[in-house]
Amino acid sequence: MTDLLQAGAAVCAALGLVSAVAVLVRGRDLRLGACVLLDFLTAAGLLRLAADPGWRDVAAAAALVLARLVLR
Amino acid sequence: MIIALPHISSAEGFLSEDLLREYVDLLVRLVEAAGALIIFVGAVIATVRFVQAAAHKRTEQRFTRIRLGLGRYLALGLEFQLASDILSTAIAPSFEEIGKLAAIAAIRTALNYFLNKEIAEEREEVERDRAEQA
Repeated sequence: MTDLLQAGAAVCAALGLVSAVAVLVRGRDLRLGACVLLDFLTAAGLLRLAADPGWRDVAAAAALVLARLVLR
Repeated sequence: MIIALPHISSAEGFLSEDLLREYVDLLVRLVEAAGALIIFVGAVIATVRFVQAAAHKRTEQRFTRIRLGLGRYLALGLEFQLASDILSTAIAPSFEEIGKLAAIAAIRTALNYFLNKEIAEEREEVERDRAEQA
């Protein structure tokens, strides 16, 4: 299941890039685009946390949640 | 006089520590997978809606609504993952695993708190807009 979750996390990050580009192209709002990307990266981080994570994954997820909070 | 109680030995077998650990581990995996699935589905739906909104020249407000929709999926997935964290405390064997579990639960709880706060604020804003339009 770990491989599946890791793959899901990678797909989530890719979807985040697509969505952030869509928002940037149409909305021309850098902050909103960054927030959208961070939301998807947070989702990817949560999927990685479900896949038997190491301390590095835990730290990355914490950093993403913090960044999301600051940019909000 | 010795009385044989066969049902006790079978109950011990059924509820042995190793077996219980296996059951709880299976439950943890199932609940965690359910949370992960919800988060993944939410991300896919949000992407489709973002691309659709961008194609139809929607406003910034629309993008924010879609973002909060994704936030709702994340919050729901997190509820499942927090449930699996609670289950995991029953089988975490080493001190390092308990530490990692505590860190993950703290991250998930904090994110869940802020997501719910954002959703509540958005709901208030929508209701305020509706009241102004009426």
